[in-house]
Amino acid sequence: MVESKHQWKAWLYLSPAIVLLLIFTVWPIINTLRMAFLEGYSTMGAVGGITYNFGIGNFKQVLQYKDFISCLTNTMLLCVLTVPLSTILALLIAVCLNAIKPLQRFLQTVFFLPYVTNSIAIGMVFAAMFNMVGSAFGGENEIIITAGIINNVIEFFGGERVNWINSGSSYLANITVMVIYIVWNALPFKILILLGGLQSINKQYYDAAKVDGTSRVRVFTKITVPLLSPMLAYVVITGFIGGFKEYSSIVGIFGDDMGPTGDPRRLNTMVGFIYDSLANHQGRASAAALILFCIIFVVTMINLYVSKKKTHY
Amino acid sequence: MSDKTVKIYEKDLHDATSKQRFVKVGVQVLIYAFLILMAIIIIFPFYWMLISSVKSLEEYKQTIPSLFPKEILWSNYVEAFNQASLGRLFMNTLYVGIVSTLLSLVITVLSAFAFARLEFKGKNALFAALLATMMIPGELFTITNYATVNSFGWMESFEVLIIPFLVSVFYIYLLRQNFMQIPNELYLAAKVDGTGDLKYLWKVMIPLALPTLISITILKMMGAWNSYVWPRLVANDEAHRLITNGLRNAFTESTGDVNIPVQMAAVAIVSFPLFLVFVFLRKYIMKGVSRSGIKG
Amino acid sequence: MKRILTAVVLLITLCMNCFMFASCKDSAVAPDFVVPEGGYDGSEVTIKFYHTMGANLREVLERYIVEFNKLYPNIHIEHEQVGSYDDVRDQIKTQITVGNQPHIAYCYPDHVALYNLAKAVVPLDDLIASDITVSRNDGTTETLGLTEAQIADFIKGYYEEGKQFGDGKMYTLPLSKSTEVLYYNKTFFAANNLTPPTTWEEMEDVCAKIKAIDPDSIPLGYDSESNWFITMCEQYGTEYTSATGEHFLFDNEQNRNFVEKFREWYQKGYVTTKELSGGYTSELFKMDSAEKGNSYMSIGSSAGATHQRPDKVNEAYPFEVGITTIPQVNASAPKVISQGPSLCIFKKSNAQEVLASWLFVKYLTTTVEFQAEFSMASGYVPVIKSVGDNAVYKSEFLDKADGGDFISALSAKICLEQESAYYTSPAFNGSSTARDQVGLLMQKCLSAEAGADVKAMIKKAFEDAVSECKYQSN
Repeated sequence: MVESKHQWKAWLYLSPAIVLLLIFTVWPIINTLRMAFLEGYSTMGAVGGITYNFGIGNFKQVLQYKDFISCLTNTMLLCVLTVPLSTILALLIAVCLNAIKPLQRFLQTVFFLPYVTNSIAIGMVFAAMFNMVGSAFGGENEIIITAGIINNVIEFFGGERVNWINSGSSYLANITVMVIYIVWNALPFKILILLGGLQSINKQYYDAAKVDGTSRVRVFTKITVPLLSPMLAYVVITGFIGGFKEYSSIVGIFGDDMGPTGDPRRLNTMVGFIYDSLANHQGRASAAALILFCIIFVVTMINLYVSKKKTHY
Repeated sequence: MSDKTVKIYEKDLHDATSKQRFVKVGVQVLIYAFLILMAIIIIFPFYWMLISSVKSLEEYKQTIPSLFPKEILWSNYVEAFNQASLGRLFMNTLYVGIVSTLLSLVITVLSAFAFARLEFKGKNALFAALLATMMIPGELFTITNYATVNSFGWMESFEVLIIPFLVSVFYIYLLRQNFMQIPNELYLAAKVDGTGDLKYLWKVMIPLALPTLISITILKMMGAWNSYVWPRLVANDEAHRLITNGLRNAFTESTGDVNIPVQMAAVAIVSFPLFLVFVFLRKYIMKGVSRSGIKG
Repeated sequence: MKRILTAVVLLITLCMNCFMFASCKDSAVAPDFVVPEGGYDGSEVTIKFYHTMGANLREVLERYIVEFNKLYPNIHIEHEQVGSYDDVRDQIKTQITVGNQPHIAYCYPDHVALYNLAKAVVPLDDLIASDITVSRNDGTTETLGLTEAQIADFIKGYYEEGKQFGDGKMYTLPLSKSTEVLYYNKTFFAANNLTPPTTWEEMEDVCAKIKAIDPDSIPLGYDSESNWFITMCEQYGTEYTSATGEHFLFDNEQNRNFVEKFREWYQKGYVTTKELSGGYTSELFKMDSAEKGNSYMSIGSSAGATHQRPDKVNEAYPFEVGITTIPQVNASAPKVISQGPSLCIFKKSNAQEVLASWLFVKYLTTTVEFQAEFSMASGYVPVIKSVGDNAVYKSEFLDKADGGDFISALSAKICLEQESAYYTSPAFNGSSTARDQVGLLMQKCLSAEAGADVKAMIKKAFEDAVSECKYQSN
């Protein structure tokens, strides 16, 4: 009796959400699947009266595209570099913040600032900071008008100027800039969650450790990290999901070309690839989105599996 | 124990640990140095935005950028406000933000409650399916959703800005996690007392989950504030235009020459309310968001 | 984990079932337009017009809408600045799929080729040829179509642009146009006894001389890499693209040769471009000659003349700007690109709306006063010749032309003088990709590390560009 009453009540409460999701999420997913399996599908063409055959042609085209592998490796590389780096930095900052009294609130606010900004606008600011203005970099007739504020700082400390994002810059330099920006962007959320986790750890654990005279490092690895592991797992998993969808940060730095002058699309990612195709090749875009979905799904499953084994509740 | 013995004890302790204390001070210095360095890195782009917003166009275009503006041009702010007719845009955005937040909260609370407290067939499968949708790049929904809202006749209306994004799986997930932490005994006790679900929700669950609800509110408002692609597509007319679009439109001239300092000033004006909200409600946001991390 | 998997499998099977029935919808295209017997019948219509005009141009437009409404009070024009050209294109592209595109829009040829995938643009030939008489509210009448005098009044190169789509039909009318011109530092040229180059050979010479005078300078800046490549193809008479058959023909010996030559120029520090220098080259041109990296010549849009003028120092311009035709391969048969917005009209189920749109488009493109004011406000050049005879345009604008305060007038004047030199490149589905790709190709070939074998690097870059074009357009 109670059970069946629960049943309809549950569905009643869920109904607004379900109706909206059916219309604005499930239907688009179905439509995406449809477009992915119609070979060469484009909405403009469909409106113009062209009919398309059912098949896996879109997937073939995507996988055989010369830049597909580079999109995939860029995405993976950025994930593998930025997720651990930002997590470790966020953990360090959170632990440090938790260990101080004066200025704590002020610094907390500062670290959350990137949360309230438009990522494309701030990307433009970053680009301006790394941008060199001039001509024929690295050649005999190199003329540099502005080296950019970052290079100014490097040169001030006696270092060598680096061509970060301009024509002729190295892949390594490009990736470095991207990692810096993405980590900068990702820090606030991670600090927020890890600091919240730290503050909820029972002080008794630390008091006990103090009595035992345990060293700081040991306290960190044996108490803090294990007790924080659910939050760490959460931060890493959402970091990976977000990392696989990396796109607007690269637009922020490199613009729509997704790469330095002279080598566009060098830093293109999976989502960037989907966007490129979305304009005129909706079928291909849908196929690429499904491929991306499968990758994220597998990686998330692996993450969940690993964190199940390593997480202490 | 008398005061004297305590003092002696403390003195011994002090001598014994003076070396440790020295280390401790050193560690504190290191911690502060690290935090302040990171803080400078974090804050520099904002500083850049702010100083750019008061520079004259000539100074902004200088090949070697100046770290401090030579003269402060507050008129950029006045110009920004007028050029983008920010007043109207603020009102539109506020309206969309408030209405969509309220509706979204109701839907989220009901769904989270169902997932957290009620038993029904297929609950886990449904919840997992919802979570799976979070992995799909949302850009792909745009084409289909555009056709959908158009067939509903919603173009250039507030509905089209509000309704398609009312349900966020992420918020349902956040709130469900939060509700799960509230002991089930409370609910069962309420049932025995004959308290209805809604009353229980209102009197017990909502107050206990308030921090999460507040952080959802803030995230949702921020969403309205920052949304760009969708509003531009479906409601880019004077009466319904939202702030980000208005900003961009106001500073796109046909020749492509944009007064960046004025634009930066406009961005600063637009960011300011969010910043205030953030500073004052930081405690709630932290509580809300960080709780979601407990138990995945 | 098992649960999630089951859920996903369920979801996917559900989806599979659904798209069986989903795959047979679509098609919202409006019927082909046929000019109705009676022409415009005076009925009440609202016309939507998408453009990219800034505030000063909108003000001009609005004044002439009022004028237009004195003739046709029942045609209500709702115009909207959608954003940039790309924004206009993207928005209309989405709207076409559900059939609620605007009536009139600013367009580039590439956009029209895209819209025409959905057969959404009205061919103008029947309208232009129509001799139906339409009565206006002030008691006068006009011919629905264009009279021969009106057609002859259009600058030919601009008018022909509407027919670049490979099917012989006319889809657009030009609204206002610009081209590329060579800006040079007249003061510097006079002081050093230099003459502005008319051919690329002379250009190389002048660059070498300037480099000798001021080694820290980059003598020439070329804003648009794409325009550079396409214009060189046109000037050499080599193949670039074709609207029919094999589209992408630009990978050939001659094209690789001129790219290789310009690479040498770039490596010698003779020339830079917008992308390679990291900003509009007008910025380099305006710089003080004592600074490192300044330019003495700049090739950019004629509509951007005011951006090529240096800022005043102590109430006076530090140098005078001279404007001339861009360098040519063959100075006796010059070729310059034609750019700037045209107008296209979209198909609608109500033929009266299309007629009303046409009347408004015709009004904007053939009214001398509007064309004159629009040109003066924007720096673009008018598309009809008779504007040159307009008294106000002459006395308040053209006659005052100089390298300082009236630099826009000077650039307009140069444009009007070279009206026979305009060319346009074919527009088809994929022409904008070709345009982007050759621009990127220029950037790459000029600046990339090439090692010993420059030719091989260039050959590879061309092959990549063609293969990318093919991938994007198939």
